[in-house]
Amino acid sequence: MPSSANAKEKSNAAGMAAVAGPRGAGMSLLLSEIAVLFRRRRTWALLLALAAIPVLIAVAVRVSSAVPPGRGPAFLDRITQNGLFVAFTAMLVSVPLFLPLTVGVVAGDTIAGEANLGTLRYLLVAPAGRVRLLLVKYAGALAFCLAAPLTVALAGAAIGAALFPVGPVTLLSGDVIQPPEAVLRLLLISAYLAVSLAGLSAIGLFLSTLTVVPVGAMAATVVLSVVSQVLDQLPQLEWLHPWLFSHYWLGFGDLLRQPVLWDSFASNAPLQAGYVAVFGALAYGRFVTKDVLS
Amino acid sequence: MNQQDMGDPRTTGGVHQRRNRAWLRWVPAVAAPAVIAAGVLVGSIPARAGDALADKTPADVLALLAGHKTHTFSGTIEQASELGLPELPATGPSSGPASDDPAASAIEMLTGEHTARVFMDGKAKARIQVVDRFAERNIIRRDNDVWFYSSKDNSTAHLTLPDHARDLPLEGPALPGTSPESATPEGSMVPPTPQDLAAKFLAAADSTTAVSVGPDVQVAGRAAYNLVLEPRTGNTLVGMISIAVDGETGMPLSVEVTARGAGEPAFRTGFTSLSLDAPDAALFNFVPPPGSPVEELQFQHPTHQAAGPGSSGYPEAHTDPDQLAAGIKDKAGSYLAGTGWETVVELPTETGAGAKLSTALAQNPLLGQAAVVVPGGRLLSSALFNVLLTDDGRVFAGMVPADRLQAASSAP
Repeated sequence: MPSSANAKEKSNAAGMAAVAGPRGAGMSLLLSEIAVLFRRRRTWALLLALAAIPVLIAVAVRVSSAVPPGRGPAFLDRITQNGLFVAFTAMLVSVPLFLPLTVGVVAGDTIAGEANLGTLRYLLVAPAGRVRLLLVKYAGALAFCLAAPLTVALAGAAIGAALFPVGPVTLLSGDVIQPPEAVLRLLLISAYLAVSLAGLSAIGLFLSTLTVVPVGAMAATVVLSVVSQVLDQLPQLEWLHPWLFSHYWLGFGDLLRQPVLWDSFASNAPLQAGYVAVFGALAYGRFVTKDVLS
Repeated sequence: MNQQDMGDPRTTGGVHQRRNRAWLRWVPAVAAPAVIAAGVLVGSIPARAGDALADKTPADVLALLAGHKTHTFSGTIEQASELGLPELPATGPSSGPASDDPAASAIEMLTGEHTARVFMDGKAKARIQVVDRFAERNIIRRDNDVWFYSSKDNSTAHLTLPDHARDLPLEGPALPGTSPESATPEGSMVPPTPQDLAAKFLAAADSTTAVSVGPDVQVAGRAAYNLVLEPRTGNTLVGMISIAVDGETGMPLSVEVTARGAGEPAFRTGFTSLSLDAPDAALFNFVPPPGSPVEELQFQHPTHQAAGPGSSGYPEAHTDPDQLAAGIKDKAGSYLAGTGWETVVELPTETGAGAKLSTALAQNPLLGQAAVVVPGGRLLSSALFNVLLTDDGRVFAGMVPADRLQAASSAP
């Protein structure tokens, strides 16, 4: 834990304590939480690591010979003709591990990080209440869920445009869309991934209320995401698959069809909402009954 | 939350009260899964149609089905099968299951689960999209132009139907996917639609079949008659075929094939969503995407095809084991043994499907393993049909038990 973050957390807690009135407190607490989150050096490091994925892919494709069609991740062979495919490829590559990893770090840190720094009780002294603090912490994690895939998408589009020609994008259906619409689809995919990661964030939030060691909550969250994906690969557990929070993570490909196929989103959104409800309720039960000693 | 929540609960009340509260705080954690479970249970109860369909006799339902004129719709078809054949999926998120190997492609289409979106606007405009993970196979027909597109290798093929073929009753309701298969790129096979299958099974429904109407079913949110075909003979693997016939339009909405003695259907295809509105016209305007190689295909009129003995209709259609299974009844006489559901067909080995199947078995290790050595040859067995490759190179197939194939092969 960097000491500068420590100092910022303390100033965050102190700033919140100064806010008067429980109603206004929620909003300023949220803004302060998001500001602290995105000012942290660790958050920047996570986002930079995510941005490095499309850069690595683009540079590797640029310096190597043409990729034969049908090899490697989907869209990889299209990159040389159209730089925007760097973004699609990078999103596909980062979904199984990198995005859950970064989200696990942020979500696992929410409560446990404050407890570990000894700032949790300052936050609870403020007239904000535990429930509000929990909601604000979760909202902060959600903000990161939105920022993470967006970073991959924008970095991918930028590096793709820098190294390769940009032109009309061929969708999976064979139809062609113009670059502005392709960017719109990129944003849609980012939103899809943000929704997909909401359930994992809720799990991380709950795990974070269980411990004062943030690394433990982070690791447990990331391990759970890997376990879920492994279970999703086992044909013997087919009945379980629609209930795994990672089951529709790769369904964002449906947004690259013409017309857009919303089925995976329609299945994914209620599933994630269910995980948020269950683990949110668990986190509530744990957090409001917890003896905060640090 | 109110003031009591802040800070350490020990400061806010007596120990007894705190315990009470602590218990209450876990209520949401129990309630949330309970509510979700209840919601799932309620959702899984099949919805009963509010307005029940008027009772109809099997003959009425058959007439309704035969008279249906629904050629404008868009919908999603899902197919699932438990045939006991090896599944040939390409693993990994990036690769679609499309395969270069035609027999593997056909078996891949037949096994496992598939989703396809179908858009039709009249008989001459159609688009079928086979949805794979991060890949898609498209067939687009607009009047005389038929386009095939596979996203996996970004390849396009084009076929111009001659004018005399324009109104050709392509099998099913003018679905190009079932147009002369010799002309389709082998990788572009699409799963059969409920219409295709219903037409095929009804063609087989004659005096050897008992036709009845079961309790109404709900398919894709529409009330449908449940037409049940049951072979009257025990010498077939097929136990029952249920066709859901839309109560309003007479359109076949789903087809389920249950093996003899099995409880669950071995093969099911049906709409999961259906809209009878005309699809967006732009869907049928296909222009090959940039960078995609276009292969020009030659249309082969069925009757112009080198007519080998026994090839009436579409000989190449044999390569699709599904059509083989479904359409066996229609095929030519001299190669047949048995009638009706007991039909055994011998595939011509010199030219068509027999040879292809033999090569496929030799080349594809998964298929090769699936073929069991039996007296007289090798048997490719599934829940609904059997294929026997004899040691002297002949190929027999039918929706019959293996011993009947062996009997047919040893007959003079």
